Amino acid sequence: MNKIWFLMVIGSISCLIWTDPANVLDSMINASTEAFNLSIELCAVYAVWLGFLELVEESGLGEKLAHALHPVIKKLFNIQDSQTEKMIALNISANMLGLGNAATPMGIEAMKRLDDGSGVATPAMIMLIVLNATSIQLLPTTIIGLRSAAGSNNPSDIIIPTLIATFFTCLLGILLTKTIEKLKNKLKRNKK
Amino acid sequence: MSSYIIPLIFIILFCYAKHKKVNTYDTFVKGAKKSIPLVVSIFPYIATIMIAVALLRVSGITTFLANLLSPIFGFFGIPTELIELILLRPFTGSGSFALLNDVLTNYGPDSYISRCACVILGCSETIFYVTTVYISQTKVKKLLYAIPIALFCALFGSILACLLCKIL
Repeated sequence: MNKIWFLMVIGSISCLIWTDPANVLDSMINASTEAFNLSIELCAVYAVWLGFLELVEESGLGEKLAHALHPVIKKLFNIQDSQTEKMIALNISANMLGLGNAATPMGIEAMKRLDDGSGVATPAMIMLIVLNATSIQLLPTTIIGLRSAAGSNNPSDIIIPTLIATFFTCLLGILLTKTIEKLKNKLKRNKK
Repeated sequence: MSSYIIPLIFIILFCYAKHKKVNTYDTFVKGAKKSIPLVVSIFPYIATIMIAVALLRVSGITTFLANLLSPIFGFFGIPTELIELILLRPFTGSGSFALLNDVLTNYGPDSYISRCACVILGCSETIFYVTTVYISQTKVKKLLYAIPIALFCALFGSILACLLCKIL
């Protein structure tokens, strides 16, 4: 992340110094303002979903969901802790419903619990990142909304191609993560 | 149909919680309280990534890259008009939706390009944004192969999206 960010910023500013130097600070501050407004919005959204999450937890519904998804999570993440499993189950369910913003607090919580403090991502953390990055979404509601606002004749006709595409990217993500994990374990064993 | 899902989930949850004798009001407040510290701790990460994205766009690097990459993307059947969208998608959610809206109004919502753009956005995520926010509360510095896999999947998804829009 450090390298990517450095390259992005240094590259852009070196370009702008020739073309539009006055715009550098302006656009940085604008972006930061935008981020601030987004954060306020997110704060409101998270308040609703964290309240929701607390209810899910206290009522024991989280355990039930985790139990239902247990075989899948066990296979993908290989973890023992039931609290972490619950968070991952909720994160995946929210993603499937297209509630990316609701999934975030649960994902953060799951990540915190998966962290072993070594500074290097564990296989389970990588799996969670890949799953979230290729998230299976059953209903792309925002996109359908934008299409119908633009006057489409059939705004929801992108659902089927989206489902197929998202299914395969997700599958590819899982397979690649698992394969690399296995290869790494093999290399480690060979070294010993 | 989809607008009924969320209210139904809430009704089921509230009734279930009541049935389990949970104090819904107190519990909701307890959860909502956590949102402020959470946002305070992730704001710096959001701001930092959005600053870099804004600079990239203002400097014209994204358009330059889009032109540079158009032969490669074209080889895989991705229209040139969509490259900027694909390049920015991993970094910004709001930014890529703004671009999608431009595509929808410029080319018409039922055109091939617009449909590709919709499917590409629908099957991808803001990889860098999600990753930074998710690991912001951990000690992780090294992500190993997580980002390359995610980016590769996103590219694969874009190619597949354009292909699917041609046949479906």
